[in-house]
Amino acid sequence: MLPGRAERTNRRAVGDLSIPVVTLLLAAFGVLMVYSASSYTAKTQYGDEFYFMKKQLLGFVLGAIVMIFAGFFDYRRLKKIRYIALIVPLVLLALVFVPGVGRSNYGATRWIGFGSVTIQPSELAKYGFVIFASAYMSEHMDAMRSFKGMLPVLAAGGAVCVLIILEPNMSVTMCVGLLMLAMIFLGGMKMRWFLVILVPALVAVPVLILMEPYRLLRLSAFLDPWASPRDEGYQLIQSLYALGNGGWFGTGLFRSRQKYRFLPFAESDFILSVIGEEFGFVGILVLFAVCGFLIYKGIRTAAEADDFFSFLLASGITLVYGIQTVINALVVSGAIPPTGLPLPLISSGNTSLVITMASMGILYAISRKNAAARAAGKGGNKRRR
Amino acid sequence: MFAAIAFLFCILTARFFYVQVAWSGELGYRALDQWMREIPVVAERGLITDRNGVVLAENSTSYTVFARSNAVSDKAGTSRLLADALGVDGDALLEKLQSVRASEITVARHADKSAIEKLEAASPDGVYYSRDNTRVYPKGDSLCQVLGFTSTDNSGTTGLEKYYDKYLAGENGELLYETDLVGIDLEGAVAAYLPAEDGMNLQLTVDYGIQAIAESALKRVVETYSPASAECIVLDPDTFEILALAGYPAYDLNDVPRNDTELLDSLSRNRIVCDIYEPGSTFKIVTSAADIEEWLRGNKNAFSANYVFPSSRTRSVDGTTVKCWSTHANGKHCNQTLADALNYSCNPCFTDIALSLGTETFYDYLSAFGFGKATGVDYGGEALGMLLPESAVRDCDLARIGFGQTIAVSGLQLACAAAAAVNGGYYYTPHLVKSIYASDGYVLEEVKPALKNRTISEEASSILAGMLEGVVRDGSGKRAYIEGYRVGGKTGTAQKYENGHIAAGKYVSSFVGFFPADDPEYLALVIVDEPQGAYYGSVVAAPCAKEIFEGIIALKNIQPLEGE
Repeated sequence: MLPGRAERTNRRAVGDLSIPVVTLLLAAFGVLMVYSASSYTAKTQYGDEFYFMKKQLLGFVLGAIVMIFAGFFDYRRLKKIRYIALIVPLVLLALVFVPGVGRSNYGATRWIGFGSVTIQPSELAKYGFVIFASAYMSEHMDAMRSFKGMLPVLAAGGAVCVLIILEPNMSVTMCVGLLMLAMIFLGGMKMRWFLVILVPALVAVPVLILMEPYRLLRLSAFLDPWASPRDEGYQLIQSLYALGNGGWFGTGLFRSRQKYRFLPFAESDFILSVIGEEFGFVGILVLFAVCGFLIYKGIRTAAEADDFFSFLLASGITLVYGIQTVINALVVSGAIPPTGLPLPLISSGNTSLVITMASMGILYAISRKNAAARAAGKGGNKRRR
Repeated sequence: MFAAIAFLFCILTARFFYVQVAWSGELGYRALDQWMREIPVVAERGLITDRNGVVLAENSTSYTVFARSNAVSDKAGTSRLLADALGVDGDALLEKLQSVRASEITVARHADKSAIEKLEAASPDGVYYSRDNTRVYPKGDSLCQVLGFTSTDNSGTTGLEKYYDKYLAGENGELLYETDLVGIDLEGAVAAYLPAEDGMNLQLTVDYGIQAIAESALKRVVETYSPASAECIVLDPDTFEILALAGYPAYDLNDVPRNDTELLDSLSRNRIVCDIYEPGSTFKIVTSAADIEEWLRGNKNAFSANYVFPSSRTRSVDGTTVKCWSTHANGKHCNQTLADALNYSCNPCFTDIALSLGTETFYDYLSAFGFGKATGVDYGGEALGMLLPESAVRDCDLARIGFGQTIAVSGLQLACAAAAAVNGGYYYTPHLVKSIYASDGYVLEEVKPALKNRTISEEASSILAGMLEGVVRDGSGKRAYIEGYRVGGKTGTAQKYENGHIAAGKYVSSFVGFFPADDPEYLALVIVDEPQGAYYGSVVAAPCAKEIFEGIIALKNIQPLEGE
């Protein structure tokens, strides 16, 4: 679509640098907090207080390299690999159920392992779906107005959801579901078709909850955690204790009391509790502001995109980040029932860290292309919607 | 789009504000509980001493040893060390330390200091000590029913240990350690110390010297007459302070038979306070007191001191016959005045008094002398006695109450009534504790004599005391007579009832005595239940009271009156 000349200019254009800078800052802060939250547990369990921090640092370095690479990568090539981007994660998700490859933890099979490396395919699947949906919908723009035209996207999203719910992982399923709905909405789906999908999805939620007894227990524990302080309510209570202990200004860096094995998953899903404890409500506000800034930049990048694929891709990346951040914060503060979902860029877990940083690299690449387009005087910005 | 994002941001912020700021205090309070592990610091239980400071109950310091299995790094070594120092089973301990179920194990209780010193030298991880008390009673079985004992966790179970538990117990303190989830101490964490507040001490009214005398006198009675039980109480009639209170059978407070509840209940029962009996002739003191007071007040129905009672052995009341215990043959119990009637303990004379004064007047005196109600002594489970209600009493009942039948009283009630009859007519609240004080000398409470009511006038009391002195000098109380000392008293011999019938051969022999008669300083009541071999109070109980008085005279070095 674009002439080769423009492509060359593109290489020299400078995009919105605040995106990679804020991403690096958040990830670095994550390394620090992973250390703070895990040092005691790491020392008692592995005899090395830096155990989790070292892993996270490796993820940080890898993520930074991948982000830089992605930032200068011609992301439009992703269009061509849309089927690969969808099918590889789907295969990996299916592999989770293959004995010997799938790794179980805490009663759910969510990881696949090759030797000492374990990855969580659901992390890949989210982005695979974003790439596929963006590519497919930008290519079949006119078909999007009909339900039939939208079907392949729905089928892809549905497949991802089904495989993840089988792990089981309710929270990630809901994230992908939300993502799918948002993507097809942005893709131009008509409101009445939108409702046709939304209503069954909403009906599915209570059914899924009733299917697994543990979900119901968690739901009741969320309503009154002190009714079962040692079982279902435990995690939430410990998270609330941590946040409450933080107060306005927090206990200070490394001064968390709850990290002494009281708060489970302190370095991963509940790292926000430790942040809230050590930096207080004020610290949480600052962190939200930074996360909000990144989301804002993502929206701006999407808004400024001059082709539909870039727009959808930037939106998808921002959505994945935003949805996870908000849901994690809601879980940690006890506003919605507890689910296992990391805080992107900050929680320990290398799959999530590396891939989120890579996605931020792509977001930067999109912003570079936008800048180049403006520089080329084609600032008419005719987004086709 | 932006509105939706701003809305989400506001919800999140509001939620975090609520949890972190508004809810923070309550959450922190709840969380504190899981952050701290506490080791109790046991308060020192208060001492119990007699009125002169003789220690009757104290503590020996001992220690409780705990182990927190998660915090013990070398389990095998630590259990060997503990087994060695404390003499506990090392293998069993190791098993407990390795089990996941117990997070905190009590290794040993009441361990002594030398064992702890040995452990402290090695200072193993995860082992903690707390000070504890072991209650010790230096006088063994002396005053056992009064003092009572404590449970293994140092709370009063019976007697004064129970009645005054809230003062004696003190407030336990705590040593607080900051730990992680499983109880491992945090590095560099400061242990908080909440000191224990030691219990208050009790100073009793009991004089251990007199108590020992009473106990040895009682022991002699028991050896001679093998009774079912025997009790005695010594009061100071001027204050109603209980100077001695002894009961047989007794038990060693340092070796309480905790496994035999029935036996323990019977041994630890303070019968003189908590049980009732039919007093018999000792009750005639009260009838006489009523008559003398009414006579002095000019009541025509009362008999004067010079009045001569009819000599008949019997009185007919409501169709029943009241008989004297004596046959009245050969001029016995003939032409008696009130003093003579007391001397010979002639029942019909007291029937005459009771009937002549009438129910209303007589019951006023029963009430003034505290019958049918609590004396208010500082001891749990005091018996109220059994007194027919004034509205239900018939003449035939009244006739018998006059000489101490158809009424049941506690020994304490009778001793108090007798004291209130001869001390000038003052009824005080009897008590066992003289003061409650802290070890630093602070006095929380000093128990002063508390006058409850007047009973009779000084003059009537003085006349009565004189008559009772006569009983000991000339009458049935001769065996309590001590040359040179003005002892007064009255004997009592009551038949026991079982299932509403007189139990053949079962008697309660008693004697209440006091001296000096003109200004009584000591009053003793001796009750012997079911003595074998002899049963008259004059034979069984009076010599015991005499022995007690002689002991007091020697102890207090009281000089005899000259020229008598």
